[in-house]
Amino acid sequence: MARLVLDNITKSFGTVQVINGIDLAIAHREFVVFVGPSGCGKSTMLRMIAGLESVSGGRIVIGDRDVTHVAPSKREIAMVFQSYALFPHLTVAENIGFGLRLANTPKAEIDRQVGEVARTLQIEQLLERKPRHLSGGQRQRVAIGRSIIRNPKVFLFDEPLSNLDASLRVQMRLEIARLHQRLDATMVYVTHDQTEAMSLADRIVVFNAGRIEQVGTPIELYEKPANTFVAGFIGAPSMNFIEARIDSSGGAPIARFGPASIPLADAERRFQPGGVTLGVRPEHILIAEGRTPDFTATVEIVEKLGAESLVYLQTGFSPDPVTMRVSPEHPVKPGDSLPLCLDQNRVHCFASDGAAI
Amino acid sequence: MERETGVWRLVFLALPLGVFTVLVIWPLASSFYYSFTNWNGFSDNFEFVGFSNFNKLWTDKLFFNAAVNTAIWMVAAVLIPTLLGLGLALLIDSRIPGGPVFKSIFYFPICLSAVVVGQIWIWIYQPDWGLLNVAIGAVTGSSPDFAWLAKPDTALGSVIAAWAWQHTGLAMVIYLAGLTSIPEDLLEVCEIEGASTWQRLRVVIIPLLTPATVVVVALNVINSLKGFEILYIMTGGGPFNSSDTLAMHMYNESFKKYLMGYGSAISVVLFIVALTIIGIYFRELKKVDEIYG
Amino acid sequence: MANAHSAAPAGREFNPWPAVIFIVLVCLAVLFLAPTAGVLLSSVKTTREIALGDLWSFPTRLYLGNFIEVLNKPAVHQYLINTLMVTVPATAASIALGVLAGYVFAKLPFRGSEALFLVIVAGMFFPPQVILIPLYRLFNAVGLIDTLYPVILIHIAMGMPICTLLMRNFFATVPNALREAAILEGASEWQVLTRVALPLSLPALAVLATLQFTWIWNDFLWPLIFTQSDEKRTIMLGIVNLKGQYSVAWGIQGALSLVASLPTLIVFLFFQRYFIKGMTMGAVKG
Repeated sequence: MARLVLDNITKSFGTVQVINGIDLAIAHREFVVFVGPSGCGKSTMLRMIAGLESVSGGRIVIGDRDVTHVAPSKREIAMVFQSYALFPHLTVAENIGFGLRLANTPKAEIDRQVGEVARTLQIEQLLERKPRHLSGGQRQRVAIGRSIIRNPKVFLFDEPLSNLDASLRVQMRLEIARLHQRLDATMVYVTHDQTEAMSLADRIVVFNAGRIEQVGTPIELYEKPANTFVAGFIGAPSMNFIEARIDSSGGAPIARFGPASIPLADAERRFQPGGVTLGVRPEHILIAEGRTPDFTATVEIVEKLGAESLVYLQTGFSPDPVTMRVSPEHPVKPGDSLPLCLDQNRVHCFASDGAAI
Repeated sequence: MERETGVWRLVFLALPLGVFTVLVIWPLASSFYYSFTNWNGFSDNFEFVGFSNFNKLWTDKLFFNAAVNTAIWMVAAVLIPTLLGLGLALLIDSRIPGGPVFKSIFYFPICLSAVVVGQIWIWIYQPDWGLLNVAIGAVTGSSPDFAWLAKPDTALGSVIAAWAWQHTGLAMVIYLAGLTSIPEDLLEVCEIEGASTWQRLRVVIIPLLTPATVVVVALNVINSLKGFEILYIMTGGGPFNSSDTLAMHMYNESFKKYLMGYGSAISVVLFIVALTIIGIYFRELKKVDEIYG
Repeated sequence: MANAHSAAPAGREFNPWPAVIFIVLVCLAVLFLAPTAGVLLSSVKTTREIALGDLWSFPTRLYLGNFIEVLNKPAVHQYLINTLMVTVPATAASIALGVLAGYVFAKLPFRGSEALFLVIVAGMFFPPQVILIPLYRLFNAVGLIDTLYPVILIHIAMGMPICTLLMRNFFATVPNALREAAILEGASEWQVLTRVALPLSLPALAVLATLQFTWIWNDFLWPLIFTQSDEKRTIMLGIVNLKGQYSVAWGIQGALSLVASLPTLIVFLFFQRYFIKGMTMGAVKG
């Protein structure tokens, strides 16, 4: 069983604490993605799991073993680096078989295992080449090959696709997903790209400023963000935030912003009178066709993306433009005044401290 | 526009190329010319003597002796500073306190002149009170008065030691620069794969230092080929020509015996040796570039 | 679980290696400094003390007589002046030529410029003995033997390969857009070089000044060949000359060596960074 447990992990460099008490349990075979802006501590956390960085406090358990103070090579992990970290002087075969060679494995056995891995990754024809003569995608495959051959309990990926161009990134993403399906291993994957996180993860861990903001499946994070940070980080284009006031004078709470007001009928939510932040995803702003609009807005810019169009709106109540999605056939153009309404069941509310209500 | 650029090229290059042509290229070419003459250094009357200077090389025992000494000198003057420099660089790179101070200590002899280095080491080898004999005396309890530079068996080796002392620091700083350019994540791969210190050194660090090694070796080869001054100061090629090298021999034949024609022939040989080495160097550099980019 | 106990607890265990390495380095450093220490020690001792076999002991008192003797000697003054008269113009001129040539090779390349550049750089690799005889004949013919001019001129020429190489590599890092912007503003190529490229290349100039100064100051071969009379000798030859005069005056020889090395030592102390950069830069791209 290759579960991975992080128990109150802290890390400081000098007096600066960069990881503030991380608790996380990752199940066997789970694909977990650490996501967050740069400098949020996600990479440091991954490197502590690998043992490349020492922990300042807390425990790391892999399987049933406390590996907090175990050397990296004894942790039964493998790591894929952003830069691929291939040895320029070794051929592809030698790079993949590097660990076996260090362990003085017989040549024939190394060849057999390297051949097998190369077949899985379809890089058999590259085995005699040096890394310099490989493309980015091929290099990344070799790096993955070097980690597969270790047969680790946990795979660690540190932004493995950041150095690839966009189309290749999508292709490699699929391959990593396939790899996870085929291998009987736990995977921890670090990225700053929320699309990558959403598409790969069983569960996503959102990091910010050295702590975990939220842990959940991609859909949970998308539909029930715990706070404005997660709400703003997950989903592209980002969620719109609108400052509003709560008016409970009429019984059921109503959020008022600008000329508009929407009922917040939800028995479970408790509202204090005062300010809230409403969160509305671009797809939950609708053109009021035949209905009474909640408000009207002026179209500033239209981005035609093909499958959809993004419309940036000027409103009287929000200093930032509000984004909405429309179908590509919609004849909207800059300067148009649009009657709009909100999908009231999908409106998120956040208290002044950012936490979801 | 293009024409104007052409004019500027001419303006900028005229002086540098002029100086270089007159003082380097032309002398280089005329060295070949003089090697076919019997010019004695003063008179304007000299004759064309064909290949006789080169034929003389084959029968000149001193030339053969100098060639052998040059080979010994070059091998030692390349290997010793290179290996010592690598060792020092690896020690200093291990993040011990005072690294920059150590670096300066090992490196500073490079800024001393050959004359001063020679002077310093003549004192080390001084028979009566030289540090070497004093140290040997302190260890063995005797009071040796061995004249290191005056004995044919030890003269060349003694100068090589002085040379190595001065040039180890150069190899060290180049290796240190090479070490810092090794990507951190490659070393982390070693940690994850469980490489021992020795494996890390042999399988990863030393191969990755290849570009630095090519440079260090080339530089040492070139410098040692030029290494004339320190031999001139410390032994003058003696005793009994035991530390005579090609550069030394060329100087003696040309400026002591005034056999400028013959001296030119020796310098032509030197030139061909240097050319061969440059060829090898550029070829290796290209190969290394292929792999390491 | 057995594995957990056998594995070294990373970061918690006492690691003896840094201490061992430190001690090894200290020993090596002492060994490396010992030769120089001899010169320093001798320079503050009397000849009698040294002759009594006392060179390597720590001095009980500071004897400055050797330095006074050396610094009061008119010949030494002449040597130092001669050396300066060679070193300063040769350093400046070789860098100037390197700047001009390097600029063309970096910013105004033409057909064959790469080959020309290689020819110049290759000059760095040849033993100077190869051109000794023709140069001797050349300067003999124009009557400049036993003057400082041949020494200066040859140092300019011999310094060109390294200066051209470093300046070309440095100018190559100056964005072309800067030059083009200046040209669009109506600047001539000369103005681009002096107003745009040169102010940006002060670090490279510092590197070259450090290297060239040290090499030319320390040189022995060229003044040996081209100067004959004592009034024209440079300091390095002076040391060798005075050796005969002070054959057993070890302390004076030591003081003289120290005085002669002082300029380069000072340059090294203050510009070590540039020195190392120049050595590695010149080497790596050579």
